[in-house]
Amino acid sequence: MTNGQPHVLLVDDEDMVITSIRAFLQLETEYEIHGYTNPQEAMRHLEMSPVDVVVSDYLMPKMNGIQLLAKAKEYQPEAARVLLTGHADKQSAIQAINKVGLYQYLEKPWDNSQLLLVINSAIERTQLLRNLREKVGELDEAHTNLKDVQTRLLRAFL
Amino acid sequence: MTPETDSPELELLTRKLADAHKMASLGRLSAGIVHEINSPIGSILSNNEVVLRSLAKLKRMLQEAQEQAGPVPRKAIDMVDSIASLSEVDRIACERISAIVRSLKTFARVNESDLRMVDVNELLRNTMKLTGAVFRGRITFETDLGELPEVECYPGLLNQVFLNLIVNAGQAIEEEGTIAVRTRAEGRLVAIDIADTGTGIPPEVRPLIFSAGFTTKPLGEGTGLGLTITREIVEDTHGGRISFDTEVGQGTTFHVLIPVEQPRSETNNRSSA
Repeated sequence: MTNGQPHVLLVDDEDMVITSIRAFLQLETEYEIHGYTNPQEAMRHLEMSPVDVVVSDYLMPKMNGIQLLAKAKEYQPEAARVLLTGHADKQSAIQAINKVGLYQYLEKPWDNSQLLLVINSAIERTQLLRNLREKVGELDEAHTNLKDVQTRLLRAFL
Repeated sequence: MTPETDSPELELLTRKLADAHKMASLGRLSAGIVHEINSPIGSILSNNEVVLRSLAKLKRMLQEAQEQAGPVPRKAIDMVDSIASLSEVDRIACERISAIVRSLKTFARVNESDLRMVDVNELLRNTMKLTGAVFRGRITFETDLGELPEVECYPGLLNQVFLNLIVNAGQAIEEEGTIAVRTRAEGRLVAIDIADTGTGIPPEVRPLIFSAGFTTKPLGEGTGLGLTITREIVEDTHGGRISFDTEVGQGTTFHVLIPVEQPRSETNNRSSA
């Protein structure tokens, strides 16, 4: 679905968090990084362009991370959803997992190597899901074609 | 009803109660404070690692360039820029953490037993900074802080008043809303208004709000002592006044009046009512 390098969407109302994670990912990977401090702008990005993984903060103005990830699920169900939160609160974790089918819940301060591991496996999962969907599509098409052939065959013999 | 009394024992008990209540309020605020500190710490830790790795890469690039007597690669210069911008982020992150620690310190201070001259606007700013961390995203502060004379007061106790009123205001707002904090000098008094756009106080509850043990908050969330202590600190300890206007569905405004000077006689005494 996405062209070339995997796309990572970072959402945190703290600019410093985006700058730090972006610098780390740019050093370690070739991923395309899209960072937003405003969750509503991130939502518009999700509406327009496919991404492989969304990493979102929890406590943000106007829209919290769970609301944003719920939108992400609606717009791009295959894109993996990761909550990165400083809100040490089990309640928000449980709510997130149940409500938006979270791929991972990470706490701030985060560990870079763990974050990278999660992002890498999230991307892999997303791409597998997309491949699967393509294959299912191909299978469906093949099935329809076969049925078509079968109908024509039956017509020819009857 | 709180009896008007000059008993030093009662005064001491009020202080102890106020202190315990303040600690409980701070405890409840702690989740927000933790969030506010964890983001900058996360950034600093990540930046430190990235800077170290970048420096190692940079060294390799420079060594290679030197060995081959070639030019410094473009990527090396980009890396230096990136390191510089991360250092700038670190500075901002450290400032953020120290601002939170500073505002916490004014609360953690043991209740000073001496009267001090205090900038009330500064106390309010600290309280807003701290509670802002908890309400972030949900509540906007509007401030109109007038020019005030320094006020003779017990700063720890007055802090507690502002913390109670602002936390209450925030809790009265169900989704998003505004807390307006206004101050002005009124002769020998300082007036502080804290207004929220919350649910308002229902008429049947209004006569009860300053009574000890009365709370509308769920079990475990309110002690039913916040406004009782607030009233005692404002009126009994500082000889001020507290009142409120409220409209269901519109919000509530608390008005606090604090005298600029305390009666000269004994520090703990109020002027006879």
